[in-house]
Amino acid sequence: MRRIVTFTALSVLILPAAAACDSSTGDGGKTVTVAYQKFGAFTQMDDQMKKVKSQYEAAHPGSTVKLVPIEAAENDYYTKLSLMNRSANTAPDVMYEDTFLVNTDIAAGFLAPIDDHLAKWPDWSQFTDASKTAAKALDGKTYGVPMGTDTRALWYNKDLFAQAGITVPWEPKTWDDILATARTLKAKLPGVIPLNVYSGKAAGEAATMQGLEMLLYGTQDTLYDDAAKKWIGSSPGMLDSLGFIKTIYGEGLAPTPQDALDPNFGSRLSTELLPGGKLAIALDGSWQSGTWLPTGSKPWPQWNTVLGLAAMPTQKGQAPGRTSMSGGWVLSVGSKSKDKQAAFDFVSLALNKDNTLAYDIAASQIAERADVAADPAYLAANPTLKFFTDLVTVTHFRPAYADYPQVSNAIQVAMEAVMTGQQSPQQAVTAFGNQLKQVVGPDKVK
Amino acid sequence: MIRRLPVYLALAVVAVAFLLPFGWLLIASVQPGAALNADITWEVSAANFTDILDADTVFIPMWNSFVISGGTALLTVLVAVFAAYPLSRYRTSFGRSFLFVILFATGLPITAVMVPVYAMYSRFNLIDSVPATIAFMAASSLPFAVWMMKNFMDSVPVSLEEAAWTDGAGWFQSLRRIVLPLMVPGLTVVLIFTFVLQWGNFFVPFILLLSPEKQPASVTIYTFFSQYGQVAYGQLAAFSILYTAPVILLYSALSKVLGGAFSLTGAVKG
Amino acid sequence: MLRRFTPLLPAVALLLVFFAGPMLWSVYTAFTDMALTGSVSVDFVGADNFTRMAQDPAFLHSLLLTLVFVVGSAVIGQNTLGLLIALLLRGRGRASRTVVTGLIIAAWAVPETVAGFCWYAFLYRTGTLNQLLQHFGVQQNWLYTTPMLAVILANVWRGTAFSMLVYSAALSDVPPELVEAAQVDGASAWQRLRHITLPMIRRSIVSNLMLITLQTLAAFGLIYVMTGGGPGNASQTTPLYMYQQSFKFYQLGYGTAMALVLLLIGGLFSLIYLRLIKLEDG
Repeated sequence: MRRIVTFTALSVLILPAAAACDSSTGDGGKTVTVAYQKFGAFTQMDDQMKKVKSQYEAAHPGSTVKLVPIEAAENDYYTKLSLMNRSANTAPDVMYEDTFLVNTDIAAGFLAPIDDHLAKWPDWSQFTDASKTAAKALDGKTYGVPMGTDTRALWYNKDLFAQAGITVPWEPKTWDDILATARTLKAKLPGVIPLNVYSGKAAGEAATMQGLEMLLYGTQDTLYDDAAKKWIGSSPGMLDSLGFIKTIYGEGLAPTPQDALDPNFGSRLSTELLPGGKLAIALDGSWQSGTWLPTGSKPWPQWNTVLGLAAMPTQKGQAPGRTSMSGGWVLSVGSKSKDKQAAFDFVSLALNKDNTLAYDIAASQIAERADVAADPAYLAANPTLKFFTDLVTVTHFRPAYADYPQVSNAIQVAMEAVMTGQQSPQQAVTAFGNQLKQVVGPDKVK
Repeated sequence: MIRRLPVYLALAVVAVAFLLPFGWLLIASVQPGAALNADITWEVSAANFTDILDADTVFIPMWNSFVISGGTALLTVLVAVFAAYPLSRYRTSFGRSFLFVILFATGLPITAVMVPVYAMYSRFNLIDSVPATIAFMAASSLPFAVWMMKNFMDSVPVSLEEAAWTDGAGWFQSLRRIVLPLMVPGLTVVLIFTFVLQWGNFFVPFILLLSPEKQPASVTIYTFFSQYGQVAYGQLAAFSILYTAPVILLYSALSKVLGGAFSLTGAVKG
Repeated sequence: MLRRFTPLLPAVALLLVFFAGPMLWSVYTAFTDMALTGSVSVDFVGADNFTRMAQDPAFLHSLLLTLVFVVGSAVIGQNTLGLLIALLLRGRGRASRTVVTGLIIAAWAVPETVAGFCWYAFLYRTGTLNQLLQHFGVQQNWLYTTPMLAVILANVWRGTAFSMLVYSAALSDVPPELVEAAQVDGASAWQRLRHITLPMIRRSIVSNLMLITLQTLAAFGLIYVMTGGGPGNASQTTPLYMYQQSFKFYQLGYGTAMALVLLLIGGLFSLIYLRLIKLEDG
């Protein structure tokens, strides 16, 4: 009997230890681990990384690249990546990072600064100034190389506009122009949703970025005071932006709240509402057309003739007249990486001109390298690329500091309260200011 | 018969109510351009099924599911049989408290322990190991399995074992030769119950496994949702049906084997 | 004495390594400000997470919803419906038994995510239910207008099989002669149930209640797929709020503290149920 006890006890002790020994017996050569997202129709990153892996292994004989595609939706991807980063054993050498999480992950000590490597990389001069700041932290160091970005604007249905007697091309100059058009559409075309602006928690970051920030950054205010290094809780711009949300949802110019708060609303929008002529104007991202290409999930050959594009105007038409928001993803080097040079070599190979060009075309990304943006192949790839690329001159980036994800959630809560009529814009702004103080601390709110 | 009409009517209502939610799944799976609507186009095709029937989409994930769930179920049953024996045979306050403590632990949301489990697994380099994942899943399904197993074992009279004991047989022989053959149905129930539960487990393999070629179907089902929220509904429905079929088949096989009145008889009498 | 419990060892070892360890770590985490990402340091913050919880209206709201969910879907829904179906099925023909139990068990066997999608599509604005109801002029997204009712019904649908199986088993042990004798004495169906059947299966009732309560308290996947806790926080039960805090806002410490409170509530329920068994036994 005692033998069984001893055996059990031993096996419990030995099992993990034995497994732990395995780790040291890797092959002699260097291994670069690369973690990225692979999710549903988004396989472009996976294809790209497979291609770069073989290029890298050919250029560095003896080295291997281990790809870790994480099959998950956005939130789960962040969760998994954070977990991997917390342990030296699983922390990747190279990772695919959303710019809005870069500072959060820097604060957690997950990412390594790459300024020394960038200084020696001639290609770095090709990157636009705006993109160079995308992965620059508060400490002034750079933590990632941008892969491509996106912008946002107003997509509108020219057929529906013609039916309602509105002249195209449509070029709204102020928020009031948008509202006036939406009211005309509502009066002339019953059964058609005049305008969609994402709002509420179900839409997630889309509500914050495609919705509120597209409005807010067209006012005189922003979300963060860079000089004072403080978040801006209540501002006239925030009040007006929430007022816009209240107007469109209150007057029935937008989808009904019960539709808009459905977690699958975004997918209905791109597969049913826009192609079906049930939605006239959509404030949405540059990537939308990817859905309707022959390779997309809802091929719609006529999309380019039916849909028109208009830049989002500033609130009262104040200079520069147009506005946009940009996100985007970067490749970063992990702080726990044992060979940061090898990791950076992979990054610089993955984002050299040819590879960036191929990726930006495949994933409908807006190029952030001057040489790619000027390439004829890039310009010919998608008829909307030029329009969206031009918006880069007026675009804004999110204040993607460590607290941003929580601030973004507070914004969604405020939007949801306003669109459902639970709070007035003024009440929602006050509640947002209080929530902000709780989230980031009272001393970091203006 | 007339007198029983209300009873049959009630049963019919129950049956319809339980069938209805499956409606969309069954319809969408055979419609090529399926959306979330229940609009029937009378256009029936197997395209959704044929589109996904390849190694990467269906066969490998399903095989992984089978290995993970099957391994978990076997390990759970093996350990649970041993654990149930003393708990069933020696009624002590220790046994009773042990049972309740582990049962009570099942109330802890598994999401709450996943972060420490990940930390521990990565410390011992067990991340991305299928056997280690099975070990954790077995541990988490063990409390309930032990509870069921003990109840099954209670229904095997101790008197049967007494003869063996007087012949000098130890607990192991007694368990193997006398108790186990009498509780094959019970073993099967626990085995299948554990298997089915783990077949649907998403969070644990998602967190503990890294390589895509090791992921089970419960994780890969998310590939039908895309980056910007576009969903291939028809394929999702078809995959759901393929993914659900094995567990439904298992249940019907089980009810055939154990006779029409398949039930957890005895498993949970308390 | 100890030797008798030797066969328990593999189970104990497995549970200690894979369950007790992480659980103890969870307890420690609940008293820290640990974050999934966003900060390097982990500070011991005492009971801060718990005092924060007591003042967090969203948490208290989630607790209330959790109670509504558990009582509505498990204690009342699954439990009563399971018993009712088991009673209805007693003595019925093989065909009706097979069809009814087959459907109910299918609902149980379906993986959680698939069950979530089924219900999502069923209750959706243009979904199956509304297609049926449109003749009566009812058109609404049930997940928006009645989210709690929607998730409760879905959980009843999914979980009734378990209670039904438990009660079928228990009822098969009730000697038919007893019930028949009462019938001869002129007892109504309700009286027979109330005074003979129910008392005889009381232990099964209590065990069943305890098990389904524990399972339902931690329920996450079904609600997550159907409503994601919304609209607003109208169906955000504690497991969902905990998930949001831990993995969306990276507040591991706060999220884990919630898990402990949930565990405590589960313990409380178990104690009440066990007390009931004890009273019956005494």
